[in-house]
Amino acid sequence: MTTGISLVEEHARKIKPPRMLSVPFNFGNTLGEANNPSYQHEILAATFDLLNRSEGPVLQIFETDEIERVVISRTESKIESITEKKDLLLELSDIKPDYEKALKTNKGRTAVGLSTINPGLFPDVMEFLKRYAAGEMEDSEMRPERFSIGHFVRYCVDDLKSYYLESRIAVEPEASMNELYRWLWSDTSLGDLLGELADVMNNSEDKEVKAIAYGVAR
Amino acid sequence: MPKLEILTEQQRDLLLNWPSPENEDSPWVEMSKPLSECKVALVTTAGLHVRGDNPFTTAKNGGDASFRVIPRITDPADIVQSHTSIGFDRTSIYKDINITFPIDRLNELVALGKIGSLSDNYYSFMGALRNVTGLTDEYGPEVAKKLLDEKVDVVLLTPT
Repeated sequence: MTTGISLVEEHARKIKPPRMLSVPFNFGNTLGEANNPSYQHEILAATFDLLNRSEGPVLQIFETDEIERVVISRTESKIESITEKKDLLLELSDIKPDYEKALKTNKGRTAVGLSTINPGLFPDVMEFLKRYAAGEMEDSEMRPERFSIGHFVRYCVDDLKSYYLESRIAVEPEASMNELYRWLWSDTSLGDLLGELADVMNNSEDKEVKAIAYGVAR
Repeated sequence: MPKLEILTEQQRDLLLNWPSPENEDSPWVEMSKPLSECKVALVTTAGLHVRGDNPFTTAKNGGDASFRVIPRITDPADIVQSHTSIGFDRTSIYKDINITFPIDRLNELVALGKIGSLSDNYYSFMGALRNVTGLTDEYGPEVAKKLLDEKVDVVLLTPT
């Protein structure tokens, strides 16, 4: 038998799984709050409690204080920056100690790795993305054969976003989700590059590249 | 999600018009023993997988409905996320994998005696599918069989 958590009450009402706890958190925050085990246990206890119901389907609403909407897209999040932005490669090398701190804090856990490219080679990845966005390169010899070019670009972008945001969290652990995304899109040269990349990919005649474009600047 | 009224109009429309399956009813099985005697498995739609496994992809036919096996003993440092949806916050999972894949919390519940035991394997799908045929007709039943083969009593489902 199953019990579970739903982030979209309206969908759970249509699908009617046997037992669901509907929570009001932002996508990506299923158990409420990162690094808050007691709150996570509260949500899990409410989810497992549904197993004791004698009839269903059960859709139980988890009540909590109002949640702030997280804004993740570049278009919505970007503000006029007062930070003087650095050259991309200098920016990347400057945050390396912060990323190393993130690795230590998270006991080696990192979201970086989808592209399969070692972070030591991220300067080359940056260079490739810059030239890809400028229309000077259509492919990279770093791309593993099993990835299409569109997916390879996406995984490189995901790795760089993770690298930057994990680094930022290491030095600003109390920053809210919205502050983190505002920093990425407003105050970094990577944010600008990803904006350009998304525009270029969105105009691609390759349908897969075009489909992937939407996620690049989010 | 936070209440619909605080979302943007575009987000609200997207959610309300999502081609979600609509069922008349659902299968129902009553618990026959306490949770403290049950074997529990974790199945997520967070698009997670073991580092080095094939990432989820942007499929042309409405989404990648395949699944990945995540052995329970996998080091959390070796679990990555390749969900193709662009509509969710990733900073929380950067901080704590339990936010969507509560592996540590489940281990704690076993240690406390609230859960009997855990399955050897957990399973990961990718949500936000516009076409769930692959899930309902092929990969979902395949995972269900694996769970039954492992004599799992309870499955905990988590989205992202």
